[in-house]
This record gives sequence, C-alpha cells and structure tokens, in this order.
Amino acid sequence: MERLSKRLEIKDVSKTFFGDKGYFTAIEHVSLDVYDGEFLVVLGPGRCGKSVLLNIVSGLEKQTEGKIIYNGKEWSGMNPEIGMVFQKLALMPFKTVIENVELSLKFRGINKKERRDVARHYIDLVGLKGFEDYYPKQLSGGMQQRVGIARAYAADPKLLIMDEPFGKLDAQTRYQMQEDLLKIWEKEKRTIIFVTNNIEEACYLGDRIVLLSDCPARVKEEYKIDIPRPRDMVSREFLDLRTKISDNTDLSI
Amino acid sequence: MDKINDRQKLIRSILYWGLPVLAVLLIAFGWVMFSGQHPELMPTPAEVWERLIKTFTKPIAKTSLVGHAWASLRRVLLALFVAWAFGISFGILIGWNKKARAFFGSIFEVIRPIPPIAWIPIIIMWFGIGEFPKILLVFIGTFVPLVINTSTGIEMVDKINIDVGKIFGGNNRQILKDIVIPTALPSIFAGIRTSVSSGWTTVLAAEMLGAKEGLGSLVTKGWQGSDLALVLVSVITIAIIGAILSVILQKLEKVVCPWND
Amino acid sequence: MNEDNRPVKVQVKNLTKRFGDLLVLDDMSFDIKKGEFVCVVGPTGCGKTTFLNCLTRIHMPSEGDLYIDGVPADPRKHNISFVFQEPSALPWMTVEKNIAYGLEIKKLPKNEIDKRVNQILDLMGLQEFRNAYPGELSVSAEQRIIIGRSFAMRPDLLLMDEPYGQMDVKMRFYLEDEVIRLWKELGSTVVFITHNIEEAVYLAEKVLILSNKPAKIKEEVVIDLPRPRDITDPKFIEYRNYITDKIKWW
Repeated sequence: MERLSKRLEIKDVSKTFFGDKGYFTAIEHVSLDVYDGEFLVVLGPGRCGKSVLLNIVSGLEKQTEGKIIYNGKEWSGMNPEIGMVFQKLALMPFKTVIENVELSLKFRGINKKERRDVARHYIDLVGLKGFEDYYPKQLSGGMQQRVGIARAYAADPKLLIMDEPFGKLDAQTRYQMQEDLLKIWEKEKRTIIFVTNNIEEACYLGDRIVLLSDCPARVKEEYKIDIPRPRDMVSREFLDLRTKISDNTDLSI
Repeated sequence: MDKINDRQKLIRSILYWGLPVLAVLLIAFGWVMFSGQHPELMPTPAEVWERLIKTFTKPIAKTSLVGHAWASLRRVLLALFVAWAFGISFGILIGWNKKARAFFGSIFEVIRPIPPIAWIPIIIMWFGIGEFPKILLVFIGTFVPLVINTSTGIEMVDKINIDVGKIFGGNNRQILKDIVIPTALPSIFAGIRTSVSSGWTTVLAAEMLGAKEGLGSLVTKGWQGSDLALVLVSVITIAIIGAILSVILQKLEKVVCPWND
Repeated sequence: MNEDNRPVKVQVKNLTKRFGDLLVLDDMSFDIKKGEFVCVVGPTGCGKTTFLNCLTRIHMPSEGDLYIDGVPADPRKHNISFVFQEPSALPWMTVEKNIAYGLEIKKLPKNEIDKRVNQILDLMGLQEFRNAYPGELSVSAEQRIIIGRSFAMRPDLLLMDEPYGQMDVKMRFYLEDEVIRLWKELGSTVVFITHNIEEAVYLAEKVLILSNKPAKIKEEVVIDLPRPRDITDPKFIEYRNYITDKIKWW
C-alpha cells in the first residue's frame, strides 16, 4: 500500500450544521487517505455523517473545518474527476436509459454519435444491453441502479463515490449486484469509495474498511482485508472478520 | 371459485359502463319532465334542437353558431399563446432565480387572488370594448395559473437531481434545460390545463359584457330576448367545446411527457 | 429433535392464484402449528407479495383457502396482525397509545389493556419512551412500536413482511433477538417473510422455501438448532448454504 500514490486525503474534516434550533455536528475530525486504484469501503452504522462526508469530498457541500487534498493539491468546489452513484438513484424519469447514461458527455458538449458510443459501451458493461431506450420506471430496482453505475462510469471519473447504492435492494438482488460490481470494477479499474451500513457487504467488497462511529461520525477503526476475491461469505475467516467488526460497531437504537 | 370471479367481473364491467349512461338518461328524463310541466321556465329538448337548426338558417348578427364558437375560440387561443410564452418563461424565471423571486414574488402574490372578472371595469375604462381588451382579459385569467404552476414545479425539483447535474459537470444553463425544466414539465402541464379551462370561462364572461360575436354574446342575446332555447344552445356548445379542449390536452400530455404514465 | 405435539393452528390448503391466464401461486399447501415460528424465503420476484396478499385477504385466492383452527379465515372472527416493511405508527398517538390502539378497538377491559401494554413495554425496553410520539423516535424504534402493537393483540396469526429489510446488521441482530423474546414469552404463531436467508435460519423453527414463479412450496426445512443461535456455527452455515442453493438465481 505504501508504494501506491494517494488519490485523496481527507484532513481533519468536521462539519457542523447551524439551524434555528441550535447546531448539530455530523462529522468530527475525520482524517483518511484514499489510494489510487483501491476499493475503499466507508462503513457507518448511524444515519448521520456518511453522506455529508461524501458531499464534502465531491464538492456539493463545504466543510466547517479541515482540508480536502486531491492528487496532492488542496481542493474545494466541484471536482470534475469525481463521479458519483446515489442511493436515491436520481435518474431522470424523462430520459431513457441511454440519455441518462450520456448526461455528463452531453454537458461536456461531445457530439451525439460519439457520446452514444461511449454510453453504449458502459450500458453493455453493466449488463443492460437491449434496454437503451427504456425509461427508468420500466426497469426493476437492480436494473435502475445499474443505470446509475453506468452513468457514473461514462463520466470517466478517476475517483468514483458510491453512496449506499444497494441500500434499497432486497438481500438477494443485493448479492447479485455486489458480485457484478466487482466484475465491472475488475474490468475497468477506478478508485472507489463505497459507503454502506451493511457489514457483510463491506467485508465482501472492500480492500480496506474504514469504520465510522455513530453521530457525530469519527473514524473508529481501519481494517485491511486480505481475503482473496471472490470471497466466500460463509467461510470461517469471513465470518470472523464480520463478527469482529460487528462487535466494534455502535448500536444506534 | 374462478367462475364466480369471472361472473363478478362481468357484472362489474356492465355496472361501470352502465352507470354513466344511466346518469345521462336520468338528466334527459328530468329535462323532459320539467320542461313539460313548466314550459315558461324550460324549453323542451325538441325546441332546443329546432333553435339549433335556426342558428344556421337564420344567423344571428350575420354569423352562424359555428362562427360564434370560432370567434370565442379565436380569442382564447390568441390569448393562450401569448400567456403560454410569457407565463411559462416568467414562472421559470421566478422559480429558478432567487433574486427574481424576491423582486416579483410579492407583487405577484398580491395580484394573484384577484379574479379575472374583477379587471373588467378597469379594462373597459382603459381600452373600451373592442377585441383587444377581451383578449387582454383572457390573458390575465390564464397567465396567473401558468406562473404559479410553473414556478412551483421548478422550485419543487428535488435537490438531488440538481446535485446530479453538478456532479456530472453541468453549468447552470445546462442543468436548467436538461434537468430542471423537464422535471417540472408535469406541473407546467397542469398549469397549461388550468389555463385552458380558466381561459375558456373568462372569454365567455368578457363576451357577455358586450360583443357582437361569440358564444358569450349569444347567451346575453338569448337572455335579453327571453329566448331560453338560444341560451341552452349556447351553453351546451360551450360545454362541448370545453370538454373537447380538455381531451385534446390529455392526449397532448401523453405525447409531451411519455414517461409520465 | 423433540416430538412436536403442538396442535395445528393454521392450515393453507391448495392455495392457487391466477391473474387472468397468469398462474402466480400454484397449489400451495402447508400447516403451521400453534406457537410455531415459520419463515418463508424465495427467489426475488417469485410471487411472495401475492402470497402475502392472499393470506391477508387483499386478494381472494382463485382456489384453496386459509384455515384457522379448522375454519376458513374470517377477519371478523379471527385476529390476523401484520407488520410491513415500512413502519406505520399513528403519528398523533404516543408509543403507549399506539400499542393500546388495537386492543381498544377490540373493546378489551381497561385493566387488561394496561396489563398487556406494560408487558410489551417491559419486554421491549420501551418504558422510558411510553409518552413519546413516533416522530420523535428513529425509524427502527417506530418499527418496534408496530411489532409491539401486533404482539399485544395476541393474534391467531402474526404475519411479518421483511420488517427489518432496511436496517443495518447490528440493529437487525438486536431486533431479531427481541422478536424471538416476544414470541417465546407470548407463544404467538408467526409467519415471517424475508429475502435474507441468514435471518430466516436465525429465527425460524421451520423454513418454507418457495420456488420461482409460479410459486410452489419447494421444500420445508426444519431448523433444529438450539437458541441463541450462532451464525458462525458450522451447522448454521450448513443450513444457510443448503437453502441458498435452493433459491439461488443470481
């Protein structure tokens, strides 16, 4: 890991929201590094902190304290090299699959033929060939999330942020999506920050897991996972890791 | 059990097909009964039919019924086209731009609750009773629902959709054009629908107050001449045209917003 | 395993549902004993929702029926409670009132209602929240209120449809232990529908495996493991793998 270059450094970042009823601290002194090409999982049990942290990294929100360093340089505002997959999907209902996927290319002013070719490539990659002209509503939840992944990939990001992308799927569809996501990632490597509250999912996907505490979110522990892929979810070492992390997780009742 | 289900289904479909027919028949029956007993208050359906034919054989103000209907429709459509262009743009402006909303918003809130008919005296005093003031009045009546629906539609666009636009590198103009306006399209369309029905009512009110042509003027003429059959002919025509307009809009919405099914 | 002498409480006989020509449920039959905890698992999209809707009488079955104590289930006579995935506590009532609500509708005597509500609040550790409103609590707490309310009814049959679907694992374990505690204490008859096989093996005395569309009962697996169960126990894993293999479609 030491030889890899740091893609992103989060340095002592805190975020406090001030409202009419007082203030509320979502994240407190979070520091972590993301290395080039790694699959980093940020695991957080609670409702707060995770999405805020991602929004700060992507530039949608501004931190109260601390620094974001991207490729060695301090960064603020939107970063064109960062792509994102949202839990709430946020697909445009009025655009077909291919129109959704090509959105970033259209914004960049790339001509129609070229952007259609790129979009088709990523639609194939996520296994949606043949569904190019469907509207999102006509697809199942798992398929919709595939569109979200293709859309993010089509923007050709150096760093891909995934915010609980499988959170709304049922357990079985989720297993399938996890397997397929790793296949996609093996084919087209990107640095990924994957956020989840599901420990099993975290252990299955990550090269490394950063465990956050409940509100306000702090870094509680880091786990490096050496189990080779594809991982067996009921193997001894997998279940041991899962139990170890679970015992260290805050219960937010 | 399946047989029972099938029979229930059949009974249900007959019921739901038959009930509207029954409602129409009841009204027709009521009309015949009432007009039979009180001919001074209500002409019979046959008399109304005769009066309808007469509007073609003996035109009123040198214009047949179709001509009158077209006169009303023309005013509404003219006003609507102008109102669509201005109302939707203005709605987008105050929905999207906070400064514009701060500036125009309060003025608009004050003007908004005034019913279009309340403008009639002012408009007659300023512009007389020609063609322009009528169209202006319809414009006022249609402009307001358009602005309200459009601006609310734009304001209600989920923040996450705008975040998507930002993440994927869109500038303000691109986000507005590719994400915000299409997302708001169903509410804009709701505004269009309201504007059509409100335009259609406003034009009749405007015509009743002084016009040579138009369905509204026919109603006034029938009323002043105690020609109830003529009033009924006009009212029925008004209703039919209103219904046709709303059907056309429904079809149009399916074409413009095919995803919104 | 011990001889199971409990009487049969719920019987599903030849349950079949067609929508037009489309067969969704195909001749399903099974028994549930009084006080039994049954989990139902099946591949995604296998018709579980239709199955549930037939049990709750949202749809009428095309053939076959659900019997409770030997007579066809009747909402006026029998007491069937539901817990759905999305919690739906009444927002204008406190926790206590929410739990008492169903009992008040049934016109139970006041002291009986108080007794049952207190028992549930104790079992769930919700005493300190008894006067809070659902909106003041987290989603998981709201779901627990619904679960408490359903158990308080002492239903003939309690149907739970993925009540813990969106919770994180730690929370799920906690709630699974809680539901086992309630079930043991109150002796309720429970049908628990889930996509999560680990959850099914953790909870159930018996797992019903549904086949892909049209849904049939593919197999009944009796989970003969002591409680509290250990998810890393090789026997547990054996059950889990076995059931996973039966339904794996991905």
